[in-house]
Amino acid sequence: MKLRFACVACLAVFGGSVVPLEAQAPTRADTIERARDIKAAQLEPDEVSPMERRLRALRDQKWLERASSGYNGFRAKIGNMVTGGGFAIGPEYFREDLFRGNMVARASAQFSTRGFQKYEAQATLPKLAGGRVSLEAFGSHRNYASLQYYGTGPDRPKDLRTVYRLEDTSIDGIAAIKPVRHVKMGGSLGYLWTNVGPGDDSRFASADQVFTPAQSPGIDRQTNYLRPGVFGQFDYRDNPAGTAKSGGNYVFQYSWFLDQKLNQFGFRRMDIDLQQFVPFFNKTHVLAFRAKATLTDTDRNQQIPFYLQPVLGGSDDLRGFRPFRFSDRNSMVMNAEYRWEIFSGLDGAAFADAGKVFPRRGMLNFRDLESSAGFGLRFNANNATFLRIDTGFSHEGFQLWFKFNDVFLGRVFGTTTGQPVY
Amino acid sequence: MKHVIFFLMAVAAVGQRFYADDPLDREPAPRNVEKALNRKLSDYYDLLSHQFGHVGEPQPKSGPPIRAQAVNTLGEPMDGAWYTKRHYDRRMTLEELKRGPGDSLAPSGSQWTVIGAKSEGITPGFTILDGAKRRYFIKFDPLTNPEMATAADSISARFFYALGYHVPQNYIIYFTPEQLVLGDDVQLADATGKKRKMTSRDIYEILVKVPRTKDGRYRATASLAVEGKPIGPPRYDGTRKDDPNDVVPHEHRRDMRGLHVFSAWLAHDDSRAINNFDSLVQENGRQYIRHYLLDFGSTLGSGSQRANSPRSGAYYFTWKGASTQLFTLGLAPPHWARAHYGHYPAIGLFEGDAFDPERWVPEYPNPAFLNRLPDDEFWAAKQVMAFTDQEIRTIVSTGEISEREAEAFLVECLIKRRDKIGKTYFAKVLPFDRFRLQGGTLAWDDLSQSVPDARVAWFSFNNMSGERTPLTSMPASGYGAAEISAPSRPGQTIVLYTDSGRIAGIDRNWR
Repeated sequence: MKLRFACVACLAVFGGSVVPLEAQAPTRADTIERARDIKAAQLEPDEVSPMERRLRALRDQKWLERASSGYNGFRAKIGNMVTGGGFAIGPEYFREDLFRGNMVARASAQFSTRGFQKYEAQATLPKLAGGRVSLEAFGSHRNYASLQYYGTGPDRPKDLRTVYRLEDTSIDGIAAIKPVRHVKMGGSLGYLWTNVGPGDDSRFASADQVFTPAQSPGIDRQTNYLRPGVFGQFDYRDNPAGTAKSGGNYVFQYSWFLDQKLNQFGFRRMDIDLQQFVPFFNKTHVLAFRAKATLTDTDRNQQIPFYLQPVLGGSDDLRGFRPFRFSDRNSMVMNAEYRWEIFSGLDGAAFADAGKVFPRRGMLNFRDLESSAGFGLRFNANNATFLRIDTGFSHEGFQLWFKFNDVFLGRVFGTTTGQPVY
Repeated sequence: MKHVIFFLMAVAAVGQRFYADDPLDREPAPRNVEKALNRKLSDYYDLLSHQFGHVGEPQPKSGPPIRAQAVNTLGEPMDGAWYTKRHYDRRMTLEELKRGPGDSLAPSGSQWTVIGAKSEGITPGFTILDGAKRRYFIKFDPLTNPEMATAADSISARFFYALGYHVPQNYIIYFTPEQLVLGDDVQLADATGKKRKMTSRDIYEILVKVPRTKDGRYRATASLAVEGKPIGPPRYDGTRKDDPNDVVPHEHRRDMRGLHVFSAWLAHDDSRAINNFDSLVQENGRQYIRHYLLDFGSTLGSGSQRANSPRSGAYYFTWKGASTQLFTLGLAPPHWARAHYGHYPAIGLFEGDAFDPERWVPEYPNPAFLNRLPDDEFWAAKQVMAFTDQEIRTIVSTGEISEREAEAFLVECLIKRRDKIGKTYFAKVLPFDRFRLQGGTLAWDDLSQSVPDARVAWFSFNNMSGERTPLTSMPASGYGAAEISAPSRPGQTIVLYTDSGRIAGIDRNWR
């Protein structure tokens, strides 16, 4: 139809070969006017395609933002379960507009494909004193059906994989101040109820069937803790909330775990986490380093329950080993990553990890380190990693990790739950 | 239909080369546009379709290329709804360059009424009515880079204006919170689009996120609302279906193809459809669509919300680039990754040493930019080269950058980039322009001042058949053609057509 009209217009305007063109179009302006004539005869609304309309609605009606923020504060919480817990999902209530945006509150319940459960509630006042002071209350209950445990000590064989159930409930209050730029310090006070039981995974023996209380303190009896702590942080990363490319983040924490029931399992714990990011080629390439150590200490006749001992292995530290592969009273790990931009939205990474667990603080040295190395891909948007795929290789084989966070942002398992710096 | 219009225009061109009114300086008065749909484009769609799809009519892989259209017989875009010849053709004074699209309509009155706000995002903003009830869009700098985006908006708007485009009036303003008065029943949308009544507290919350000057005031860009009725942005391909005056596909418009060079000069990597703007305006009793360039906050090293990425000037994604980086483990970094930048927060990431006009591209493929030919590039380059150092300095001063070193650095970078553009594109065609006939001889300016061996061969020219017959000198009457060549530039020629002692048209050829 359009073509037929155009041909008619062509004859009408230019007269085909019968009427000399010059006679019909004596000026340049006329040729332009004739093109306009044809266009004018075919005007129609300049609508966009259905696909473009849908994509526009996605943006204008903020479907992605709504999906992430939920309906009236309710949304789905996906992932963020402890490694080995399987795929986790559950409802979350999240509000950051309370008291005119001065309070952030959230509560969530998550259930995983491996039967893990996690319930959390958190209320934060982040803007007190012009943002220099923050207060936070955090409570959680976790019921992890089958956490891996290989026994305490650096040389436990890979085949000695057992599982146990961890149930704990904690409440913590945290106060922090920012006296100067980049510096944050504060203290916390919390209470922790713990319970462990037989692991719920038929493929592996339950830890309580394999290990004795002498080998694994606390496997038969659990206690509750009053948990005060202090912390300090110097953070000058260029992007603290996402994937940092320059700067450093140095964290120190000291926590007292005061046994409130059995007077057998009291201990003190010090966490040091040092991160440094060295960019080059205009931040398209980054060398990222982390050194992390957890050192514990007990009074005489006190022990550290196995389920609160520092662990190594997994997606965030020794990536060539299974989750929680090593545990003991102390741990240290060092990571070095070379990251480079493949294109805007995807980074490549090559990494090397080394670390160990050890029974005495005097063994904090570079001897007898376990090591792994590997490579990965990091998909990012808005300067944050939303999917990390790492493959780590070690003398125990290889591990493939799919994670939804940055490698150095992972929380320490089993301790200091709710500390703001993790 | 666009092909039919092409065909008709081509028929006209083949049959009769020149008309009595050639070269046309202005487009004919626009047709009245009864109504035009106010539609928005999707930036997601724009990105995906341009990055992975086929948009517009590309240059043929073989055979003669599609020359730029919407130009007169001299190869110049005509004054009209898209473009107005300015600095290159009628040299603007320093005062005019500084004034840009206007300097007399800055927000007036001691108090401004906030009638809208954008609270989400890192760089929020307001819509205000000033004392004279004029509407302005207020945009701020990011906390990390005071003066950066506002300076870029002011400077680039003036450059693009001088280069011939329609742009809004952008003013740098300084104000105190007391000058802002909340209008009645103003609605504010949160990050999820949920609307609620705006309060004075919201104004405070927005101002907390933006930098203040040493004397405690706030600095912002006040962009005067463009006259007329907004109807959404024009694309870089095709034509508007509801505009009878829009008959040349945008990917074939010289002013759109040449915009690539201007964007490269000013690092306008955000040159995509949604940063253009169509407005239904009234003029001389007619209503027509005028096309604007908008939003220059992401130019000159600014990324609006932060300093621009060093990747600016390269596509987000290319198969070749990504494969290279993946398989070399990043050990063959792209050229832009090795650029060195000044450490000026007010500038962002801008430089002139690593800049290569031939390599520069916007964030993702742009069909008009991709279709550009050497004569499109020459047309743009000659305009860039028309800015003297002093003129660049004058326009940059409108950015009101408080750190003198930063301002000087920006000027230096623009001069370096200008010179590279001239050197690059003046080498691809004979860089002659401003032709004139003086006492029976043909004269011109060598814009590169590097082609001393030019020679001219005269012909008579049959305007209907296109036949040429050699002559010994310029014909005294009728049509003539002068073929200009230079042994130092093999394959590059210019054919200049005369009609009874006046210049009728120009063809630029290259190999």
